Amino acid sequence: MPPRRVAVTGIGIISPLGSTVEENWDALSHGRSAIGPIQALDCSKLRFQNGAEVRGFEPTKHFPGGKEDQLDRFAQFSVVAARAALHDSRIELTPELREGCAVICGSAVGGQAAIEKGFEDLWVLGRGRVHPLTIPKTMANAGASHISMDLGLSGPTYTVSTACSSANHAMGQAFRMVRSGEVEMAVTGGSEAFFTIGMLRSWEAMRVVAPDTCRPFSKDRRGMILGEGGAMLILEPLDAARARGARIYGEICGFGMTSDAHHLTQPTVEGPARAMRSALRDAGLAPEEIGYINAHGTGTPGNDPVESRAIRSVFGPHADKIGVSSTKSLHGHALGAAGALEAVATLLAIRNGILPPTANYLGRDPECDLDYVPNEPRAARVGAALSNSFAFGGLNAVLAFRAVPD
Amino acid sequence: MSDPVAEKVIATLASVKRIPADTIKLDTNLQELGIDSLDVFSMVFELENTFQISIPDDDVRSIKTVNDIVEGIRKLLAAAPSGASPNSAPTPAS
Repeated sequence: MPPRRVAVTGIGIISPLGSTVEENWDALSHGRSAIGPIQALDCSKLRFQNGAEVRGFEPTKHFPGGKEDQLDRFAQFSVVAARAALHDSRIELTPELREGCAVICGSAVGGQAAIEKGFEDLWVLGRGRVHPLTIPKTMANAGASHISMDLGLSGPTYTVSTACSSANHAMGQAFRMVRSGEVEMAVTGGSEAFFTIGMLRSWEAMRVVAPDTCRPFSKDRRGMILGEGGAMLILEPLDAARARGARIYGEICGFGMTSDAHHLTQPTVEGPARAMRSALRDAGLAPEEIGYINAHGTGTPGNDPVESRAIRSVFGPHADKIGVSSTKSLHGHALGAAGALEAVATLLAIRNGILPPTANYLGRDPECDLDYVPNEPRAARVGAALSNSFAFGGLNAVLAFRAVPD
Repeated sequence: MSDPVAEKVIATLASVKRIPADTIKLDTNLQELGIDSLDVFSMVFELENTFQISIPDDDVRSIKTVNDIVEGIRKLLAAAPSGASPNSAPTPAS
């Protein structure tokens, strides 16, 4: 049996740009950034005060009767996004489909807020005990497990944790399981919520967060802006999706992953380049077929020139014909959820024929010489696109997407 | 060497990289010592505690030699309110 093609037929997203697909697309397609002063906690003594937060999220609305206390915020995002994606797909869950559905999620730090609260109880408040659900709220697989329980999906279920590549690794795994026929359907994506004083102080200590805003690939960029959120996709075989008359956002058609084997925080050109080549090869795409790349584009001095060189080394002269934007300038860097938010941006860009811009771009950096779709969205018919995620630890994961005409 | 700031910087570098202090001179390039960005962050973290100062991210990125660190700390100490000194008790820099 030849490998199956894999369609995305449902999207659920809760991000700093909004809590529906429509709100997210409206912000992405107008280049409206959600970066602003962090409100969840007092950051006045930190080196940075700005972030991209999910605003107006009411856990009680989604988890009534005290259920919200069983889930850390990151797992709440997972479940809310998964419910929305399933609803969006209009798929009818038969008993066979429930058993044949994988749930594969990415998260870099899981329920850190829960364990931090426990430490505060122990060491700051001097209490001799912590909340009884500290462990199940903290575990990184809580998001995947709660989706499985909440939606009654009992196929292969697990979490992938590879820092900022988590969601791309998770979606890549899910894509391959659907493609190979191992499962009939998958719920996959990533979620992250880590705006606690311990986590923000830890990021501050890494000296990679900008004191102003996120300006990927721009001159005078000063670092990343942290974000949070979650996004889940429904994957199913393209034939099955067509047979049931589903709305198809696009196709995941390839996945490539590599390791730099080099340094904890300094990326190489070759590692990301090999991952992009691998994704193209897996998809059976020629480099010239790619019209858009949703870049990793953190806005740090270190990442952006290296990623630019990697793209040039893969695409050669065609690199100048590719729109390369970093939507982290709009929704921030949501770590293990980043790839999921960016998969949504990439799918919608292909489907709607508009490339979301790289916001906050001030001008050319001589070391970053590609077309970054600066500041203004651009109408463009794109047949295929890549979405890059590169993690601390040198772990690279790249997804390839293709348009599926109605 | 009788300069307390330079002595402390060199002692901290030696401690972070587990190398003898007498191999480090003021004009030594950090790359020659095999010091990468992560080592710099760890070293600056120690020095911030020692001197009770906060070194801005942009300044840390521009550090190339041992003397860059020493001069940077001198400038911050000169600008700091009185009381900060190499002998003050370490407290978290905020």
